[in-house]
Amino acid sequence: MIALIVRRAIQLVFLLLGISFLVFSSMFIAPGDPATMVGGPTATESDLVAIRDNLGLNDPFLVQYGRYLGNAVQGDFGYSYQSKQSVSEAIAVRFPNTLKLAIASMIVAIIIGIIAGLISALKHNSWLDVTSTTVALAGISIPNFWLGAILILVFSVNLQWLPVAGLSDPFYTWEGIKQLILPAITLGTGSAAMIARMTRSSILEVVKADYVRTARAKGVKEKNVIWIHTLKNAMIPVITVIGLNFGALLGGTIITEKVFAINGVGRLMIDAIAMRDFPMVQASVLLVATLFVVVNLIVDIVYTMIDPRINYS
Amino acid sequence: MKKTLWGTVLLSAMLALGACSGESASAPKNSDGSKSTGSNETFTYASTSDAVGLSPILMNDAVSANVTEHVYEQLFTLNGDTKEFEPLLAESYENPDENTWVIKLKEGIKFHDGTPFNAEAVKYTFDKLRDPATAAPRASLLEPVDVINVIDENTVEIKTKYPYGPFLAALSHTNAAIVSPTADKAQDLMKDPVGTGPYKFVSWTPGDQVELEANEEYWDGAPELKKIVLKVVPEISTAISMLQTGEVQFLDNLPTEQIKRLESMDNINIEKKDGTAVYYMAFNHSQERNQDAEFREAVASAMDRDAFVSKLNGLGVRSDSVIGPQVFGYDESANKAGTPFDIEASKALVEKNGYGDKPIKLLTANRDNFILMAEIVQAQLTEAGFKVEIESMEWATFLDTARAGDYDLTFLSWSNVTADGSELLYPNFHSDNVGSSNRSQYSNPKFDELVVQSRTTIDQDERKEILNEANFLMIEENVVIPMYHGIVTTALDKNYSGVQINPTGKWYLKNVTRK
Repeated sequence: MIALIVRRAIQLVFLLLGISFLVFSSMFIAPGDPATMVGGPTATESDLVAIRDNLGLNDPFLVQYGRYLGNAVQGDFGYSYQSKQSVSEAIAVRFPNTLKLAIASMIVAIIIGIIAGLISALKHNSWLDVTSTTVALAGISIPNFWLGAILILVFSVNLQWLPVAGLSDPFYTWEGIKQLILPAITLGTGSAAMIARMTRSSILEVVKADYVRTARAKGVKEKNVIWIHTLKNAMIPVITVIGLNFGALLGGTIITEKVFAINGVGRLMIDAIAMRDFPMVQASVLLVATLFVVVNLIVDIVYTMIDPRINYS
Repeated sequence: MKKTLWGTVLLSAMLALGACSGESASAPKNSDGSKSTGSNETFTYASTSDAVGLSPILMNDAVSANVTEHVYEQLFTLNGDTKEFEPLLAESYENPDENTWVIKLKEGIKFHDGTPFNAEAVKYTFDKLRDPATAAPRASLLEPVDVINVIDENTVEIKTKYPYGPFLAALSHTNAAIVSPTADKAQDLMKDPVGTGPYKFVSWTPGDQVELEANEEYWDGAPELKKIVLKVVPEISTAISMLQTGEVQFLDNLPTEQIKRLESMDNINIEKKDGTAVYYMAFNHSQERNQDAEFREAVASAMDRDAFVSKLNGLGVRSDSVIGPQVFGYDESANKAGTPFDIEASKALVEKNGYGDKPIKLLTANRDNFILMAEIVQAQLTEAGFKVEIESMEWATFLDTARAGDYDLTFLSWSNVTADGSELLYPNFHSDNVGSSNRSQYSNPKFDELVVQSRTTIDQDERKEILNEANFLMIEENVVIPMYHGIVTTALDKNYSGVQINPTGKWYLKNVTRK
């Protein structure tokens, strides 16, 4: 397993190098001048030239990229063009919020998804199955911004059970949990639906396997057939879906963060893109990419734990 | 397990219910406002974006200005009702000659850090703003200043290079606020601001909120609200829900499409006030076709601007004048001086000159109100026989494309924080600024001269006449087509009153009281 981690870490370095080059060059090619965004609507031509000089935007592409890489390997991700704040600091403030949101959403998704998938599979073709798959389909199809707005109207404005927005209280306090409920449901619904569908189809497949029939023939209790023989084996594709979804959740929190006024990395990234704040875009994309790779690594490790036949060496 | 499934079913049923009852869902339950008072003394304002920085010398955006206007003060301020510039930190001023401003300062005022406010502080602030090394975004405000002299502790003399008409407007600008020299040398005012204003800075969590507390030693009496918070809520509909539940007490810049929802809420008061902002359609004057006065006339007479303004739910003022009714230099005679809507006249010109042969590229930023303008204007011009293709792009790209003059027609706006006509005409239409802020690429020596005169004349009545002449020149030649003039909107929790709103869109919470 250590060899696996080391190998992945080396791959990650090259991956990040590639991503940073892609992001840097696409920002370089994209229309829209950062100096215009810093200078504002009244900036004169000489103001813009001064700002570009100040930000080093007049240098050739490779010089700019080389300088960026040189600083980045030393842990210096530069300063925001807009606020002049350190990029690392800006991300450090926001990342915990994004992580909190992604984990809470994943918990919601796993609980709802696995239970709904299990019921669907065990009561195959019953009305429970039909309802559950229909709800799952709706869950995948409903856009986040709409679901978030409706949840706010129902639970915050009308019923007044939960706060409308914000994520300022610690997650272990009652207030903190209340603030997390609606965003977690909003962000987690799509993943829950995917997990439910995967759980259902995977169980239906495993149930037909020879070893399950053998277990039943041996007289194993039905409960044990389900929990030990079926579920464990059915979980491998489900874990893949969970892993991929978690990675996607970390990078896909933008809309939920916006609707619920959560101060996270997603919002930071999208605002930075709009303002052509290159150092901020670069660092947040690299962070999301790193997390994606790390999550995939964890998924691979979990595979080997669930199914010892899987061996990466 | 069954219970969870039922929970899922129940949740989806509730969602469906919520979706069906959209109308009733937006009406607040607590009509007495009992729950909508929020926590006792904290007054929260929701903003859709965060402040960029809190030093008046270095910041350049409206959201940061909402904070800095409460922490710092200028020498003069615009009275929103009389539209006169009144002394704020200044006591009085006089002009011994056209190039000299002797300003007496109020005595006994201290910055939040205890530093005395005096002539040295004024000189320090303005010299820093002017210093090229500072690279202040609004250094141009003090461009006409030659030298600043400290006469005594409370008197400062400012000499200008040439007579400068809108000088009081410049001195009342957000970016001309006076900072504490001690604090500026010791810390980064962008993060930790120190001024003389009614509120003191407490903390700023970037992306989340800025917190201010009452300055109990404020020279004009301590404000009643003890704690104010600017909360970043990027989604306006979420901010409105927070206003409805009492998590937020104050909003500004209410969007047209949310006005009906806001008006149905009974725990808030909505205030609308005519503002200084102008939204206009610009011709790209660097293009040959747009230089043809008859072409511009054909476009102008095809546009039914009354029909457009009626779609703004009351959030726009219709006027032909480029200098808006709330801006210095406006004269009522300009109100209806433009080319009237006459589709037949337009059709005749299009027919006669073959204007419909070559398509027009109508550039627009992809913001709701600009898209609405573009779609309506496209329909109206098509009706007259023009061929119009809309090209919409995201804000940063739009700004650069417009600056480079890569369009035929586009929509632009100007908020005019000083409420002075020269400050509208000079940056946007003087030929000095082609290639930067003059995005319509307009260049007319006669017009340039009028604008320069309006800036270098001290006598305000005379300035007004010059500005009116320049305004008429623009209207009569259809240099741009004003679409509407902005309305400043705010929504305030009914338990509070006393927000002072300025036509420039600025607002002040100093006199807010709780009922």
